[in-house]
Amino acid sequence: MDSGILDDLYRVVLDLNFEDAEDLAKKSIKEGIDPLQSAEALTKGIREIGEGFAKGDLFLPDLVLASKVLQIALPVIQAEIKRQGKKTHTRGKVVIGTVFGDIHSIGKQMVATLLFSSSYEVIDLGVNVKSSVFVEAVKKYNSDILAMSALLTTTAYEQKNIIKDLISKGMRDKVKIIVGGAPMNQEFADSIGADGYAPTAPLAVTLVNKLLGLD
Amino acid sequence: MRRGYIRNIEPLKILTDTQVEAIHRGTLDVLEETGVRFESQRALRMFKKNECIVDFENNRVRFPSYLVEECIRRTPSSFLVKARDLKNNLRFGGNTLYFMCSAGARISDPETGETRVATMKENNEAILISDALENLDYFPSYTPYFEVEGVEPVMLCPTSCAMRLRYSSKVSRGAQSADTYIWEIQMAQACGAQLLGNMEAASPLSYSEDAINAGFGYAEAFFPMYIAGGGVMGGTAPVTIAGATISNNAELLAAVVFFQLIKPGVGIIANDIEYPMNMRSGSPAFGSLGISLHEAAFNQIWTQFYRIPTNNCAAGFPNSKLFDLQSGYEKTHCAMTSAYSGANSILLHGGVSAELAYNPLMAILDDDLAAIIGRHIEGIVVDSESMAIELIKEVGPIPGTYLDKLLTKKHWKRENYVPNCADTLTYPEWITSGKKSAIDYARERMEEILATHEPTPLAAGQDKDIDRILKEARKYYKDKGML
Repeated sequence: MDSGILDDLYRVVLDLNFEDAEDLAKKSIKEGIDPLQSAEALTKGIREIGEGFAKGDLFLPDLVLASKVLQIALPVIQAEIKRQGKKTHTRGKVVIGTVFGDIHSIGKQMVATLLFSSSYEVIDLGVNVKSSVFVEAVKKYNSDILAMSALLTTTAYEQKNIIKDLISKGMRDKVKIIVGGAPMNQEFADSIGADGYAPTAPLAVTLVNKLLGLD
Repeated sequence: MRRGYIRNIEPLKILTDTQVEAIHRGTLDVLEETGVRFESQRALRMFKKNECIVDFENNRVRFPSYLVEECIRRTPSSFLVKARDLKNNLRFGGNTLYFMCSAGARISDPETGETRVATMKENNEAILISDALENLDYFPSYTPYFEVEGVEPVMLCPTSCAMRLRYSSKVSRGAQSADTYIWEIQMAQACGAQLLGNMEAASPLSYSEDAINAGFGYAEAFFPMYIAGGGVMGGTAPVTIAGATISNNAELLAAVVFFQLIKPGVGIIANDIEYPMNMRSGSPAFGSLGISLHEAAFNQIWTQFYRIPTNNCAAGFPNSKLFDLQSGYEKTHCAMTSAYSGANSILLHGGVSAELAYNPLMAILDDDLAAIIGRHIEGIVVDSESMAIELIKEVGPIPGTYLDKLLTKKHWKRENYVPNCADTLTYPEWITSGKKSAIDYARERMEEILATHEPTPLAAGQDKDIDRILKEARKYYKDKGML
């Protein structure tokens, strides 16, 4: 076994080298590397990028490109984990998306990347997500957290509708809900019945840890 | 060699070619008809030997136009100044822009704007901070403070020069008063460095004996020269910008002739420090519009027409007594005008309350301003990569994004600038992180610099040489009854 490949997987994230990400992931499988270790190497890389971003040493392009490396390499590794019948350990499941009527993705992507780098399983529903899709995803994945993003004052109230829908389906108490986005504040989050609000992406991770009693 | 910023734009032309010609002809006329007062028999004899018309009784020199134009031609369009650490050498001229530290008599309190005399420790820390600042390239004379606790006025210039040599390896400009050049030249040479020599006019149209002696001293030490006028428009210069430009030009071109007669080919940088008069107090109207208009005309004439490098001083001396909006706009309109009109050097860092005060926190904040201005004149790259036509097609409309593209990663910093000490947080972040201001960030940076920055050390023996020269200076001034 070439343990250098694990180092390469870790570095491909730090180098933001999405062009080599898939080949390297495939090479690790071909050479018999434990896919759990490969996943951990990738996670270690994205964790460092996330920490650098939280400290202000790194910037959005670093975070997003590192995330792109993961998006390319990880599915290859995860398929191998599944094939071998192994299981990955995560701190919890997070369903995340930008609400209906809103197509802004950057803030949501930052939070998703930082949560992933903190060992959460993240199900990213994308942007312009309808309430029914959020509700179905929470049910399907049995998620611990529902994270909703809205950048416009006009779409912020859509978050309230989603919470109402969860209540009407009797699912509100099964998931912790966090909200974020430029027009948000704690007062608004309280008014719509969310469990938490964070003003920045790094603080969103702190908030999730707190809500799940992990830190 | 310090890189500085490289101007990659056409410099601003605030004057038409016809106006430039008219101002130049007017200057020659003043130099030939009225002349300039030089309070030095040695200088007068030199001018007489070189076909100037000299009135020895009234210390007046009238300059033939051909000689003035010949001396302009002899002056190089760029020149080197050697620092005690080669990495800090400077080459003034061409399209290069450097930034010079400002100066002030006293230290200013950033909260109240009140001033007090700085201690030697504060003086030396301020030098150390300037040594660390990336966009601060060199120091003027008696910097950062004109007054330092426990230092007699006559010893201030040599002592200040000694401290700059000890706590920084960047270039310094020498001073001209009370024979300080004797000691400053020796100290610089002991450290293997040159100074930018200095000779400043007393407007209108005069040079004092102190200034001329310093000019001879620095030029004979083979140091390049910094020349300055300094009229107050409406007081010691005509109130009109065109008239003040001619009067200032006459003073500076007389200095160009002076130095080219002493050392043909010597490098010269011409400074602009011409202010409108504050018509209530009679003092210079620091930070005012007339200054930046004058600078624009000055730079066009000197850098574009005479091909002689320039420095501009106005940005370093805002009228505001505080770290406030007024200080910001006064500095910015002056410095930005200087940069766009072709200045090779801008005095900027640290000045508060006109020439009265200095503060290293302001120098740290000004370092970001210098970077922004420098970056501006480096212009915009337009090539196949930067036009990104294929990428625009690839990304297409929403939900396309450029954030995960290599072009973004590669160029976002080049195409913008991330300030070291500005509040760039979102409002919620600002609230949760203690509502910090730019001054708070500057204070953090100052503490970091003081804890970590080490200037290039002096070589063995150089420190002792400096002490010895300062002792000799002290004896010299004591013997003259000045101490």
